[in-house]
Amino acid sequence: MSEPVRFVSQKVDLDYKVVTSPVARRFDEQMRAGRITGHKCPECGLVYVPPKGFCPIDCVITDESNEVEVRDAGTLTSFTVITPIQYQGQEEKEEYVLANILLDGASGTIGQQRVEGIPHSEVRMGMRVKAVWGGDPNEGSRGWGLTGAIKHWEPSGEPDEPKEKYQEHVL
Amino acid sequence: MRDVAVVSFAPSEPGLTGVEETETQLLFPVINEALAKIGITRKDIGFTCSASCDYLAGAPFAFVQTLEATGAWPPISESHVEMDGAWALYEAWVRLQHGDVDVALAFSSGICSRADIREVLSIQLDPYYLAPLWLDPLSFGRLQAEAVGQEPPTQAPAYTDAAAAVVLAAGDRARELVDRPAWIAGIDHRTDAHYPGVRDLSKSESARIAGQQAGVDKAPVDVAYLSAQYPHEGLILMDALGLTHGYGLATNPLMVSGLIQVGTAADAVIKGDANRSVGHASAGPCLQQNLVAVFEA
Ligand SMILES: [Zn+2]
Repeated sequence: MSEPVRFVSQKVDLDYKVVTSPVARRFDEQMRAGRITGHKCPECGLVYVPPKGFCPIDCVITDESNEVEVRDAGTLTSFTVITPIQYQGQEEKEEYVLANILLDGASGTIGQQRVEGIPHSEVRMGMRVKAVWGGDPNEGSRGWGLTGAIKHWEPSGEPDEPKEKYQEHVL
Repeated sequence: MRDVAVVSFAPSEPGLTGVEETETQLLFPVINEALAKIGITRKDIGFTCSASCDYLAGAPFAFVQTLEATGAWPPISESHVEMDGAWALYEAWVRLQHGDVDVALAFSSGICSRADIREVLSIQLDPYYLAPLWLDPLSFGRLQAEAVGQEPPTQAPAYTDAAAAVVLAAGDRARELVDRPAWIAGIDHRTDAHYPGVRDLSKSESARIAGQQAGVDKAPVDVAYLSAQYPHEGLILMDALGLTHGYGLATNPLMVSGLIQVGTAADAVIKGDANRSVGHASAGPCLQQNLVAVFEA
């Protein structure tokens, strides 16, 4: 008879220092003041939100002189209803929606944005959404994403955009 | 084999630490400098290979972002190694042997100041016997020093932040770009067994074979740059490569150290300071993996 398989659990814990770049710090200050900003490339005119400090297409450096403000409203281009698996450290208990949103004035979408205020079965591509501010700006920022200043997004009530308006931004 | 040379090399300023910029921002100036030195642009690059480690960044797929420093739209032909940048240079050399592209870019980046490197490096060990002991690079350095009868080191060189880029070119294209291309006369990389307990730590068989395959001993060497973190590593490597003198590491910017040593060796030929140079890169515990490149004018 063979012995039963035995298991050893080894927990690995690595600590990292999170450093926000000067470009991300400036973006964070603006978010705390209720403004969503991006950098407009002086060569191609694309608006990057959040700003990167460069245009990856033209490889030119951008800075505060290239800063533009975009609207806190946009079009939902794609989404997922997530069922949280209960692994160690999981804080989510219920199903929730994460979406990509094309902000008015930005050239690309922002990802992993929480959408509330609508039954999950009614969330759809092309839906217009607006920001619900009042979140904790100190939460959830590793120097990317939109920081925690926006709690989530909700339907704005405007008519849906036709797919021609956002189809290039669907992942 | 196709004649391939290193034609440009640009490292970041030495000894950086506590860098606040992103890894991509750190790469921009070194890639710009490597291209500007020889008067080409990103559009002239036929193949790109990057090197970095997601465990240093502490984020999955962190390496994808560094591609933004290369102008990767429209899509480019590129690859990535989760190794020191010297291995990216090796892959670029292999790619140029295919014959359909003439210019390649290899670069690497690493920001060590955001992680506990002694913890991070123990994660590369086998998960059953060594990783649970959290054996760190200094412990391995001390073990190997004892194996060669040297005083065990009390600390490793400081881990720093860095980025570096090299441009490689083949044949006539290399001659067009620079007066003295650093021709790659030989390049090879080898690895010893993963488990240090099955190796004779007093020598480096993988460095010896890599040096032999690269042809280090075929002619006198003017200068050698070795990725030796400790004096005893320098002794083991010089013995394995048959060298009498070599420069080691003053600081250790992980993922970039080897590319800087190999790039500096190439640059010595490009600048006319040497006619034949050797560059060496190493990775893994106790010099487990070794890459050797020989450059000739
Ligand atoms: Zn642009």
